[in-house]
Amino acid sequence: MKKMPLYSFLLLILLLVIWEMAAGTMSELVLPAPSVIGFTLFDGIKSGYFTEHIIRTLSEVLLGLLFGGLSGFLIGILMGEITFLRKLLFPYIIASQAVPKLALAPLFILWFGFGMTSKVVITALVCFFPLLESTVTAIQSSDKQKQELFTMLGASRLQTLVHLKIPAGMPGILAGLRVSVVLAVVGAVVGEFIGGSEGLGALIIASQGMMDTPLMFATLILLTGIGMILYQMINLFEKKWSKPYKKES
Amino acid sequence: MSFLTIEDVSYSYQGKKPVIDEVNWKMEKGEFHCLLGKSGCGKTTLLKLAAGLLPSDKGRIILQGKEVVKPSPECGFVFQSPTLLEWKSVIDNVLLPVTLKRKRTKEDWNEAMELLELVGLSAYHDRYPSELSGGQQSRVAIARALVQKPSLLFLDEPFAALDAITREELQDDLLRMCSIHNTTVLFITHDLSEAVYLADVVAVMDKGEIVFQSRVELERPRTMKMRYDPYFNELCLTLRQVMGGERV
Repeated sequence: MKKMPLYSFLLLILLLVIWEMAAGTMSELVLPAPSVIGFTLFDGIKSGYFTEHIIRTLSEVLLGLLFGGLSGFLIGILMGEITFLRKLLFPYIIASQAVPKLALAPLFILWFGFGMTSKVVITALVCFFPLLESTVTAIQSSDKQKQELFTMLGASRLQTLVHLKIPAGMPGILAGLRVSVVLAVVGAVVGEFIGGSEGLGALIIASQGMMDTPLMFATLILLTGIGMILYQMINLFEKKWSKPYKKES
Repeated sequence: MSFLTIEDVSYSYQGKKPVIDEVNWKMEKGEFHCLLGKSGCGKTTLLKLAAGLLPSDKGRIILQGKEVVKPSPECGFVFQSPTLLEWKSVIDNVLLPVTLKRKRTKEDWNEAMELLELVGLSAYHDRYPSELSGGQQSRVAIARALVQKPSLLFLDEPFAALDAITREELQDDLLRMCSIHNTTVLFITHDLSEAVYLADVVAVMDKGEIVFQSRVELERPRTMKMRYDPYFNELCLTLRQVMGGERV
């Protein structure tokens, strides 16, 4: 199984070759060849054309993730700890889960304008729920005997939370964060679709208007790259954090 | 005045039939008591009541002249499973009770290492619980319960999941460590020979009541040979009959 990464890479090459051959039979407007897309991408990065768009989208994603994730985590802890709060808020959480949050994007643009704020708000909202849900579950599902152990040791509620419930729930919380990260990119891009002239989402809309399909593909690749890097960062953090105690194979 | 007194204690879960029905019990300082009973007879509940983890419905529990209303820092508790924190190393797990109270010092570390030495795990101090066997995990749990030098130790079937030989080794470890500090112990088990081997006093619980008790007249330190002594076996037989439902 050691050679699996190599095989995956070979598959990518094969797919690219098929794509290149298929593109030769079609108009560039419909399906541009990988070589053309690669050239557009490379050229755009070198000339700095993409830079401001990347920075814009990345800051929207990161700010949204920070605000949405942090509030989801904190409210999740409160709801996990305080039964009253959980029972009070849970119907609303379920209701708000059912609302298609991206459909709220036009409303937020109305409220917060065409600037960055509206996109950050959308992204934050999209990131909020997965982390909230996974945190509530993680906090509640910590081992009963371990909780009794902490009671026996005279630990305060805060100590039990910090030393037991949060670290024990970490795998679940990180799983929620992984979902949030991927959704954050979606949130920011959809926000940019609806209103705005900057960012990779706006660039996709613009390239559609200009009928510049290679540019659209190049932007898509950049977005995929951002999503993958963020996802891998969470993975790396999780591995580093859980490495010491997951050594058993 | 006894060291620990349980006086007319009753407990029931949400208005159902009492799980513990007016139990009385006395323990003297330094004694080792074993409570025997079938699953569901209420022995774990009684232990939690005595430790202050559960509030009793009726009656009271008195530890050294003071009524127990919440877990006392003088008591240690070992659970059925080792309940080690997987993300902390062995030494950090042993030092957990200290870490929750104050900043830990070099002396704390040395004491924890001594305890690990006593259970034969000092070489494993920087390992993580998942790298240890079940028996080793139980040993760490015992070391953790003893790190604050409790005067009273509660154990809830701590060796139930271990094989017979490991269990015997751990029983000897436990007896040795408790005799060093003259620790009073209340031990719960469903294993007859374990109870007789460990205890000064054995008691049998059934349906929330203590139905039988007896002193164990065996010398200390206990040795492996005693397990095959006629007296030992006779006591086991008596206990077996009591647990089978025959009142003596």
